[in-house]
Amino acid sequence: MTTAAPALSKPAAIDPWRRKARLAEWGQRAVLLVASLLVLAYALGPVVWLVVSSVEDEAEIVSVPPHWLPRRPTLQNYRAIFETPEKTVTYETSSHKDPAAGGYIPSTAKNLLPGMANSLEVAFAVVVLNLLVGVPAAYAIAKIRFYGRSAAVYSILATRVVPDIALVVPFFLIVKKLGLVDNILSLIVTYLAITVPFTVFVLVGYFEALPDELDKAARVDGCSRWQALRHVFLPLAVPSLVAVVLFSFLASWNEFLLALMFTQTTASQTLPIVVASFASDFTISFSFINAAGVIAVVPPILLALVFERYIVSGLTAGAVKG
Amino acid sequence: MTGFAEEARPQEFRARLARLFNYEERSAVLFLMPLVIVLGGVALFPIGYALYLSLFRLKLTRPGNVPFVGFDNYLLLLEDSGFWAAAGRTAYFAVVVVVATTVLALLVALLLNETFRGRRLVAALLLVPWAVPSVANGLMWKWIYNPDYGALNGALLQFGLIDRYTVWLGDPGKTLLLIANALVWKEVPLAAILLLVTMKAVPADLYRAAKVDGANVWQRFLHVTLPTLRPGFLLVIVFVSMIAVRQFDLFYLLTEGGPGDASTVAAWQVYVESFRNLSFGTGSALAYLLAMAVFALSWIVIRTFGRRL
Repeated sequence: MTTAAPALSKPAAIDPWRRKARLAEWGQRAVLLVASLLVLAYALGPVVWLVVSSVEDEAEIVSVPPHWLPRRPTLQNYRAIFETPEKTVTYETSSHKDPAAGGYIPSTAKNLLPGMANSLEVAFAVVVLNLLVGVPAAYAIAKIRFYGRSAAVYSILATRVVPDIALVVPFFLIVKKLGLVDNILSLIVTYLAITVPFTVFVLVGYFEALPDELDKAARVDGCSRWQALRHVFLPLAVPSLVAVVLFSFLASWNEFLLALMFTQTTASQTLPIVVASFASDFTISFSFINAAGVIAVVPPILLALVFERYIVSGLTAGAVKG
Repeated sequence: MTGFAEEARPQEFRARLARLFNYEERSAVLFLMPLVIVLGGVALFPIGYALYLSLFRLKLTRPGNVPFVGFDNYLLLLEDSGFWAAAGRTAYFAVVVVVATTVLALLVALLLNETFRGRRLVAALLLVPWAVPSVANGLMWKWIYNPDYGALNGALLQFGLIDRYTVWLGDPGKTLLLIANALVWKEVPLAAILLLVTMKAVPADLYRAAKVDGANVWQRFLHVTLPTLRPGFLLVIVFVSMIAVRQFDLFYLLTEGGPGDASTVAAWQVYVESFRNLSFGTGSALAYLLAMAVFALSWIVIRTFGRRL
């Protein structure tokens, strides 16, 4: 019995110090946890609310106070969007709620899928053209010493400083003159003005970080400039290429102003334009508008989450250069 | 004798040309050709064309009558009080967005600079607002601000902060701030990433030295973290202010410049002048003034902050 006493008192003697350290550690952990939850709530809250209110039915969406969780979740909005065009929901066949209260799914719901197809077509074309134009140019700027190199860099930067809205008027007149109104070609070409400078900056930053010795070695081995780019630099530049593909894809997918000016019908309207067209119609259900918003939001968010690493490194490379 | 000299001259010329324009330069030209063509066609030419247009009284409602008016369009604008009001609103909007984004991004970056479990997940999910298309961003906030069924009214009422529903975007005093909030939400992730990168570049030795010298957490933040973050702040300020000054989408989706002209900023004014009043001459002049302001702004910011870095 007596031997047990000192054995017990020993840890007790250390305890206050240890407890303090542990308390500080727990306190720090709690602070970090609370801060993380706050950041996540801020970043995700609005999007979660968008998704939640897209699956609420008419009675719920207009409830006061709002139903933070749907009590009768429904997919009727998404059904209207993805249903085959033959079974479109029209004013007559729509839900029998009061249309004046916004209780109706528009017959134009079926325009969302063609809009998405247009968006995809434009985005793919823009991505390909960005690579074709951006890769050789970025390699030349990063690795070839030529007269007027810094002038080239500054003029590329300058084109990016011009606000899009300043380009809209001349673009509009040119597009009209060429007869490209309501044609996705007008979007593909004008989106290059937005995407190519950024692509070049991201790639220049990446190519410059690769050692010059690689370039010299390839050239000593008898590679032409083109071969050096193709066989030595391109394989090494894959991460930056992924980033560039993502940026130009997302920029075209999300672009609104130019598409608003140059498109008129479903022949060329991109997803953002179709989605925005619902918002100005007061007879359309709020939950349907939110569902359309979700459709526009899901692909870019998925891409961003899957390729997060590439995006972060690409953004920092592009921003530090630009 | 003369024939000999003449023969030598083109040779010499060719040699000089070859020196000036060697293989390197030739391949550089080839590699840059597509870029030059593309940027020339979709950027430089339209910019020049806009300048040209801004010198005419070009109204689409009068297609046959397009007189050259020199800089009259610019003078008209500079004398117009509506223009200066819009310029003031743009500046106010940009300052609010830049300050709020920088402060929030700094807090987020400080959090992500710590090592803790789940850090990667938080960093990844933070990209969500960055990826949201501006159309969806506009619709989402319009729905949140909705005067009858919106989440903002609902939440504030439930917490007892307001006693009845408010028409948020209908209040001229709040409109710009509410639109700014929507933009800040979208821009914080990029700003935080940029700040985080500069933060990571701060050598740990600096903190250790400060700790040894007896600096507490707050002093370390004030005297070590903040000064070394200057390049990051510069980047964020330039980036975000440019985005804020050019912002069009949110104004189109949320308020259309209203109520009254409470949210009529420069970019919205360009749109109204060109595509609602169909006055492309003054619209272009307005766009040019905006572009020059953006140029001047980025130059000033880089000059003043860049030198002190």
